[in-house]
Amino acid sequence: MALLEVKNIYKSFGGVKAIQDFSLEADAGQILGIIGPNGAGKTTIFNVISGVYPADQGTVILNGQDITKMEQYRITRLGMGRTFQNIRLFKGLTVQENVMCAFDPKSQYKILGGLLPTPRRRSEEKRGREQCMKYLEVVGMADYADERPENLSYGMQRRVEIARALMCEPKVLLLDEPAAGLNPTEVSELTELIQRISKEIGFGILLIEHRLELVMSISHLIHVQNFGKTIAVGTPAQVQHDPQVIEAYLGKEE
Amino acid sequence: MALVSNILTQVFITLISVVGVYVLTGLTGMFSLGQAAFMAIGSYASGLLVVKGGMALAPAIVLAVLMTTLVGYLVGYPVVRLRRDYISLVTLGFGEAIAALLNRMTSLTGGASGFTGIPRRTTLLLAAVSAVAAIILVAFFKTSKYGRQCIALRGDELAAKAMGINVTRVKMTAFLLSVALTAYSGCLYAFYMSYVDPSGFGWKKSADWVIMVFFGGVNSLTGSTLGAFILSALPQVLRGLQNYRYVIYAVLVLLIINFKPSGLLGEWELTPRNLARTARSLGRKFGTRKETH
Repeated sequence: MALLEVKNIYKSFGGVKAIQDFSLEADAGQILGIIGPNGAGKTTIFNVISGVYPADQGTVILNGQDITKMEQYRITRLGMGRTFQNIRLFKGLTVQENVMCAFDPKSQYKILGGLLPTPRRRSEEKRGREQCMKYLEVVGMADYADERPENLSYGMQRRVEIARALMCEPKVLLLDEPAAGLNPTEVSELTELIQRISKEIGFGILLIEHRLELVMSISHLIHVQNFGKTIAVGTPAQVQHDPQVIEAYLGKEE
Repeated sequence: MALVSNILTQVFITLISVVGVYVLTGLTGMFSLGQAAFMAIGSYASGLLVVKGGMALAPAIVLAVLMTTLVGYLVGYPVVRLRRDYISLVTLGFGEAIAALLNRMTSLTGGASGFTGIPRRTTLLLAAVSAVAAIILVAFFKTSKYGRQCIALRGDELAAKAMGINVTRVKMTAFLLSVALTAYSGCLYAFYMSYVDPSGFGWKKSADWVIMVFFGGVNSLTGSTLGAFILSALPQVLRGLQNYRYVIYAVLVLLIINFKPSGLLGEWELTPRNLARTARSLGRKFGTRKETH
């Protein structure tokens, strides 16, 4: 059984059929790309999988558990991490505190520790900070732990967001256009980073991306979406030569 | 001297409520216009327990705070699930309903003529120690996992949920802490004034507290405390100017909101580290000035 199984999901907003009959299976160590033109329903797929809103039909199974109708925070705790297309770091918190927020739901102290520096609180906070620094080191942002995210470059903010998602200790990591707004150097650094964490941590990665060079170079399998429908599934080489994909991206040959 | 002590005691009592509002509005981003009703419940409950129930002061206060927190849970259950703009409306309705209820339940509360005969037990020392304790507890709360999660969901609820934060629950925790603080402040108030009546606990008082928090700095506990201190002492200090004191109050608030929307202190907190940093930057400024001369 696959780590993440998405079976025949549908989602409509009013008359707009954002997803129609989408299925996918992801395993640990795999990088799966989802590509398609704007409005193809890619982010909606992520939002359904991660529980922002439930699917109209179909099921989503994570690690053997049905998470289709589960609340978003519970899905996260079962092993789902994600980043956002438009970076959504928390304002008013430092880089380290941002990453800590993904540890806090797991932190083992109660309200008494919330009001007083109990020994339990101190040891839990220390454990959290250590894990934070571990993940910040993975993404190469440990030196900026006390910085405010808004003072960092876009590429650095992306890295912090990835560290925060890693802190959720996901079995499946969803990256929504991680290369958006990055310059070519940053894109190649990001490519290296995604491959490295995929090998080192060994979770399944779903990747939505517009930059074809990034998806093509690291994905094991690619789903191509257009107008809510899957028009092709295959290895990068396969989809690149699929006439329907070429049509969706470049238009029909006259 | 008695006047100063009188003013200070009232300022400290207000401070406890405002620190509660800071937890709710500053940390969590929820606006309550019914917060003063929890002060009312706290003061009536503790007063009644002592005067009519014959209880000793300390257990009466503990019980009153617990009872108010229970009411807070019932009110909070729908409130923390609502969209932000509706929270103010629902709490406003709740607050006015409580004031009306206190007015009506004449046999128990004395109605509009007030509830009298509460022993005067709150001293300046008790109020001061309580205020300092409240500030310390909230300071610890802010830097705990709860405070971080509050700040996270204040900025972006969707992202907070995506990080595994149980938004409803964290909001409820913040709401109840704020209610408990306000209720305690109400107990001290009752045993200081020795007389309470429903007119003082309407939405205007709740709004006053929110203004104090914004005045000092909605993102800073130090700022909120300072805001509460200045704005609650001001009308008392300016008593001699009679009605002009409210004009001055209004002008001050307008000035701050216009020229420093993040409040007097912005996000600055009084910590040893920040203090050292500020001292250093001041020193540097001073040093460069010297060189230019």
